[in-house]
Amino acid sequence: MSFLIPCPNCGARSVYEYRFGGELKPRPGPAAPEAQWHEYSFNKVNQAGEQTEWWFHRSGCKQWIQASRNTVTNEVHRTWIAGEDPA
Amino acid sequence: MSFKFDGQDVPVQAGDTVASALYRSGQRIFSRSFKYHRPRGLLCCSGKCPNCMVNVDGSPNIRACVTPARNGMVVRHQNAWPSLDSDALSITQHFDFLMPAGWYYKVFTNPSTWHAVEPHIRKIAGLGEIFENPQGIPDYEHAWMHTETAVIGGGPAGIAAALEAAAKGGEVVLVDDQPELGGHLRYQKRNASALDDQIAALRSQANVRVLQRASCFGLYEGNLLGLLLANPHEGAAERLIHLRAQEIVVATGAYETPLLFDNNDLVGVMLSTAAQRLINVHAIVPGSRAVIIAHGSQGEDVNADLRRAGVSVVATVAPEDVVAAKGFGSVSGLKSKKGTFACDLVVMCGPRVPDAGLLSQAGGKLAWSDARGAFAPVNLPANIFAVGDVLGEFSEPLPRNFPDSKRAFVCICTDATSRDLKQGIADGFEQIETLKRYTTTTMGPCQGRMCQLNAISVCSRDTGRTMNQTGTTTSRPPNPGVTLGALAGAKHHPIRRTPMHHAHDELGAVWLDMSEWKRPRYYNPNGKTSESEGVAAEYRAVRERAGLIDVGTLGKLRVRGKDAAKLLDKVYTNRFSDLRPGRVRYAVICDDAGTILDDGTVSRIAEDSFFITTTTGNLDFVHQWFDWWLAGTGWDVRVTNVTGGLASVNLAGPKARDVLRKLTDVDLDTKAFPYMACREARVGETSAVLLRIGFVGETGWEIHYPAEYGEQLWKALLEAGAEFGILPFGVEAQRLLRLEKRHVIVGVDTDALTNPYEADMAWIAKLDKEDFIGKAALSRAVASGALREKLVGFILEGKEIPEDGAPVVEDGIPVGRVTSSRYSPHRRAGIGLAFVPPEKATEGAPISVRVNGLLRTATVTLEAFYDSEGARLRQ
Repeated sequence: MSFLIPCPNCGARSVYEYRFGGELKPRPGPAAPEAQWHEYSFNKVNQAGEQTEWWFHRSGCKQWIQASRNTVTNEVHRTWIAGEDPA
Repeated sequence: MSFKFDGQDVPVQAGDTVASALYRSGQRIFSRSFKYHRPRGLLCCSGKCPNCMVNVDGSPNIRACVTPARNGMVVRHQNAWPSLDSDALSITQHFDFLMPAGWYYKVFTNPSTWHAVEPHIRKIAGLGEIFENPQGIPDYEHAWMHTETAVIGGGPAGIAAALEAAAKGGEVVLVDDQPELGGHLRYQKRNASALDDQIAALRSQANVRVLQRASCFGLYEGNLLGLLLANPHEGAAERLIHLRAQEIVVATGAYETPLLFDNNDLVGVMLSTAAQRLINVHAIVPGSRAVIIAHGSQGEDVNADLRRAGVSVVATVAPEDVVAAKGFGSVSGLKSKKGTFACDLVVMCGPRVPDAGLLSQAGGKLAWSDARGAFAPVNLPANIFAVGDVLGEFSEPLPRNFPDSKRAFVCICTDATSRDLKQGIADGFEQIETLKRYTTTTMGPCQGRMCQLNAISVCSRDTGRTMNQTGTTTSRPPNPGVTLGALAGAKHHPIRRTPMHHAHDELGAVWLDMSEWKRPRYYNPNGKTSESEGVAAEYRAVRERAGLIDVGTLGKLRVRGKDAAKLLDKVYTNRFSDLRPGRVRYAVICDDAGTILDDGTVSRIAEDSFFITTTTGNLDFVHQWFDWWLAGTGWDVRVTNVTGGLASVNLAGPKARDVLRKLTDVDLDTKAFPYMACREARVGETSAVLLRIGFVGETGWEIHYPAEYGEQLWKALLEAGAEFGILPFGVEAQRLLRLEKRHVIVGVDTDALTNPYEADMAWIAKLDKEDFIGKAALSRAVASGALREKLVGFILEGKEIPEDGAPVVEDGIPVGRVTSSRYSPHRRAGIGLAFVPPEKATEGAPISVRVNGLLRTATVTLEAFYDSEGARLRQ
């Protein structure tokens, strides 16, 4: 694993500068059924293909970013600062 | 210049490698083989085969043929006893019938047999041992580089590619593993002046950087190349370079591999390119009477080189006519279909193999061409290019024999013969990848370079498949191998010191490593205080008078903004929106599964300003956790890590108020400054935040103040406390003091599954809040009432205490575990915290705990062991 992630603040950087924050998935409301919480807390989609993920640039700008990564090829096509998805 | 080889002085000439100096001095046997301890001499002379591996300055498995000879080196042979020339273990080759292919699996079917013989096999079979280097462990370093074009290989094709790329204006890095550029032209001594012109042109380019003596051991995702640069400067053994390139040109060329015939491993049987290196690079006469095995132009070239060096070439034999090499240990002749020729040197012009490992690692495929007699790379990914001989565009295949013999060595690394391969196929391992694992062919130190083509050819013939159907084994990095020291890099271990570090040193601190921090474990002021004496004195000072501990390692965050309380309500299980300014609350963070992640204190300094502490190791995690839940919310909150800017101490004990009063004007009376209150005030000469909290269970203040005043206020507090008998105390006393109060340490008394109910902190989860991280899971835990286990206190009469992690046993089965345990001076008994089954979590319940191998009965308590009403905290 040695792919590059383009940080919106810092530019293309080695994946080792980042901490992986998991798949981006909506958090259920406090009253959501147990099955939904179970799914959220313990299960991963682990999509083979494009997946939106959290990454924290710990050796750079120390910001949480979101990235669209192809999990098969590890190509990261787009990244953005959380909450500022341009798409 | 000279070095020692097995105690003998070996003279060194300029440009010598360890192997060339040894060969010139008359050494012909360089190693003993892995399994049969057969003598082995120089074969490839280019760092690819295993034959010249020796121990250099304590490091094993160093290839003598590519290691520059340095004055004073200590070189030793390996895997032979008593010496290379007479190795007692060479007897093993006469018992080869006992060791057929896959013999481990066939003979050692009974585990006890294996355990009985394993140590002996390990001693007999194997490579070098590590010796202590009298000069100490050498330094290694890492470096990172970026370039537009990386060219791997400094032969004619690589130089041309680098020049072409440089002409386009981009930055170019040319990597070559040899001492001089030129590739095969160097050791074949051809086109020398044209080559020198090209090298001069290359060196004149400002945008070209040439790395010599740098091997490329891997091509990784994202066009990352791993390079190993030997002796980057005095005192450094190797530099590992992480080179990132936009495009990579692989110009690694092709290398020569051995032919298969009986006794093809005898000392004196060498590749033609090895003979050329000895003659043309090192000016060494490789033998006196040589037989050349050749077909075509390479035979003519090496013939000319040998004659020029003064070697008498007695015959040239076609590869298909070779029957066997003759000799005992060293070669004395070659038997062919045309007759037997006496000689002391057999020069093989073996088949060339494209050095395409990097291309395979990049995702390229290898396809066999009958017309060229080579596996050549096809389907290269974008931005990866191949030039020169690595493309395998050879003019004709070499006719070869593949005898079925127990002395025709396919894999010289592990002594696997063509008969072993045949046996492996007969045993059912007919796929090349399984045959490789079964016979260990291609799995030795040469990583398949010398044996892969012969192994595939034998497998193809014996299974009746084509070369392409047979396929190749997988090339994986690192190839060539990389020393562990180079991977580990520089001996840099980050250490964090608190601002009072040197004051602790003056007080005789005995240090404890906590993550990157150094903390005083206890103080040994006179050099004669044992840990138990020191801790006991510090404990008494805190309980009876006053104690001062440096808590600067606590993580400290400032959280400011209109929505600060809203964030804290969300990430902590308890409530902060109703916390009044000037008050402090204990706080626990859970994840959405309800597991405790961290704890600390939250102090409300002003309406929109909070001061937060985290546990020592969790600061970064908590900071990131806050930022994560803030990301994209648009809330007005700013989280700032202020850990490094603050010094922090905890002053505690019945006399703490008297000590502090001497240094501050703030009203310390318990009515004006009650338990769990906070104030901003001046202490001594500096401003500070004072939190009245009680981790150790006495009246006390945690004081946070600018790091610049760290030592000054620390000393002022000790001075002010001198009349009351204050002592500095360390982590060990603090752990005992907190345990008497039954205060948990997250990560010690909780694990990766513990929720607040299991930790007996039900009060910390405010389930009536609208939402918080972990609410859904904790609500379910309450609704179901089912707990996995529960954390309780226990008392064990007597002096003995269980170790941390000791099991709690019921009916002979472990049902829980001790998380912390100490001898309590207050209770005059062992005390501790333990996870027990929920039904055991009742006051006075007996539990069995293993102590020093015996089961002892302890009594459960849900109260603190010391001052369970908390009266002393509030005084």
